[in-house]
Amino acid sequence: MKKLYEWFDRRLNISPLIAEAQRSVNFALPSTLTRQNRSKIFWFGYPFYYAGSIVAFLAILQGITGLLLAFHYVPSAVGDPGTPTQAYLSVQNIMKSIPLGALIRGIHQWGANLLVAALAIHTFWAFFRSPYRVGREISWLLGAVSLGLALAYSFSGYLLPWDQLGYWAATISVQIMRSIPALGDFIAQILLGGTTLSAATLARMYFYHVSLLPVVALVLVGAHILLVVLQGVSEPEEVWKPAKTGQTTGEKQAGPLFGPFIPHQIIPVLILSLITLGIVLLLGAYAVQMPGEPANRFLTPQFIAPEWYFLWAYGLLKWVGWLYEIVHFVPPAMIFGFDLLSAKVVGILIAAAMFLVLVLMPVIDRGDEVRVLRRPLKTAIGVWAIGLLSTLTLYALNEILSSMLSIPIGTMNLLLGSIVITVPLVVAAPFYVILHRHAAKAIMKEA
Amino acid sequence: MTEKIADGSEKKPRRRVDRRQFVQTVVSLGIAGTVISFLSLLMSLLPSAGAGGEEGEVDNVFTYGPEKGTWYSDRPGTEVKLEDFDQVGKGAGVLWRKKIPAIVIRVDESKLRGATATSGLIAFAGTCTHLCCISTWHLDRPNEDVLFCRCHDGVFDPYNIVKDIMANGTEYLGAKVIAGPPPRAAPIIPIEIQDGKVAGVPKDVGLYDYCG
Repeated sequence: MKKLYEWFDRRLNISPLIAEAQRSVNFALPSTLTRQNRSKIFWFGYPFYYAGSIVAFLAILQGITGLLLAFHYVPSAVGDPGTPTQAYLSVQNIMKSIPLGALIRGIHQWGANLLVAALAIHTFWAFFRSPYRVGREISWLLGAVSLGLALAYSFSGYLLPWDQLGYWAATISVQIMRSIPALGDFIAQILLGGTTLSAATLARMYFYHVSLLPVVALVLVGAHILLVVLQGVSEPEEVWKPAKTGQTTGEKQAGPLFGPFIPHQIIPVLILSLITLGIVLLLGAYAVQMPGEPANRFLTPQFIAPEWYFLWAYGLLKWVGWLYEIVHFVPPAMIFGFDLLSAKVVGILIAAAMFLVLVLMPVIDRGDEVRVLRRPLKTAIGVWAIGLLSTLTLYALNEILSSMLSIPIGTMNLLLGSIVITVPLVVAAPFYVILHRHAAKAIMKEA
Repeated sequence: MTEKIADGSEKKPRRRVDRRQFVQTVVSLGIAGTVISFLSLLMSLLPSAGAGGEEGEVDNVFTYGPEKGTWYSDRPGTEVKLEDFDQVGKGAGVLWRKKIPAIVIRVDESKLRGATATSGLIAFAGTCTHLCCISTWHLDRPNEDVLFCRCHDGVFDPYNIVKDIMANGTEYLGAKVIAGPPPRAAPIIPIEIQDGKVAGVPKDVGLYDYCG
């Protein structure tokens, strides 16, 4: 082994690079192996520091399983509506005849779900901790764009089996995209090869899923991770002292609070990756979802809903429509020649605005204080956003809930609609009040 | 840069371009031009114009749709007959010209406002004007005489026919939106009876292309 390394080193001179890499990955994270400074905040925050590494692990797993699936999947949606297409049949073939095919597809399916979940945790964790305030704006931007990439991945992947659920979830998304004022139809034609789903759409989606997005993701996520290596992990707030007047950022506390990457950090990463792998294997083996009926453009299935992580957007559209109905607002058909105020356009604009705020956080939110508990307004807004996304998700399920609980749909909408308005506020308000007091007290103490 | 001439007047010196600058400018312009001309290849991303395909003679008789759990679910694809609609309130999801989803309903003609029925029947485009899901009749709301769109709970009233305008400016008659997010009424498809079969009148087929 050593001889082989030396053989390569003599020819390629890699040892300086390796030494540099070893030096730079020794960034600090709260570690299970260091015993100092285990406050309550430490224990609360500890698992969240590793959400990003779980995302990375799952992304690798998705790459491997996706590669294996690509050997068998046939991206062709030519055929009469309601009849199985080549795409549909090949997925069935993977599920039924290919050795371990069902397991591989199960892992791919559940891996995607868990990846989005871990990514959501990673995003919110980053949001609360304001890492862009200490020189990580580029990393933040790359991360936000990667979040969009992950959603594009799941959107394109969901359509590939060409079954009813995927087909209609995509149809709705496409029609929403088309309602973007002025540009909608053009975007749909470029991205999907037409304004409705067709065999051409599947070909493009397949290309995005297995060819375009992997390259873009490798570059962007690679840069995101490279920046972590270059800049070090954004340390837990306990290591940061508040900025003194005149200083632009807080300074690092000295002392061995947190261990180096190898071995201190790599161990929790490996442990969590193994646990994640276990969960994905279990779910993939026992809870894999078969493709539904073959796609039929003349028949919308009864309970049609997108994947759980798009439900909030689906709920948002429904909710705006409900709100209009409650206040008896009939949007004008055209404003300056564009359909600007209809529920779907307002919904899409709100969702776009939310993403834009996320991307632009480094510009919007300036200052030095990064500690969650010292920033009542921002923390409360974050809590409100979590509340809003959850309640909108609930609202998206109104039809299903109403038939399950046998509550008339009107009452159900009224109930869920008011929950969307009130609950996020009711949850976020105490956060603001309590943290505001806490911050004021702490500042008094420091003074 | 200007330089003072002895008599006090200012004179622009001739700007000298040396060979290096010249080559740099030409090469960068060349690269920029190449990149821009390659960008025009992106035109190929637009869908091909002939993708739709022209159809020849099209039968205008409605055929039953693929909905399950309905009185017509044993005969999808067969022609719709007038005699099948033997009582008021009976309706079916059908296909017109093999590609346009529609809903045919036997209505109580005395309650119908804004339009007249043909032999007691009236037909609407089945594609929801909101996000293009397929509307249903008596499937999701079995006790209400409404066209119901499953995707965002849009509800259309087939007894209340109103004038509306498509995004492209075409005026048309359709079933009024009484709940939910659809922005426009569900357009009527004029029908005629051909030897006891129910057929759509292909007067303005382009009207029903609102879903692309």
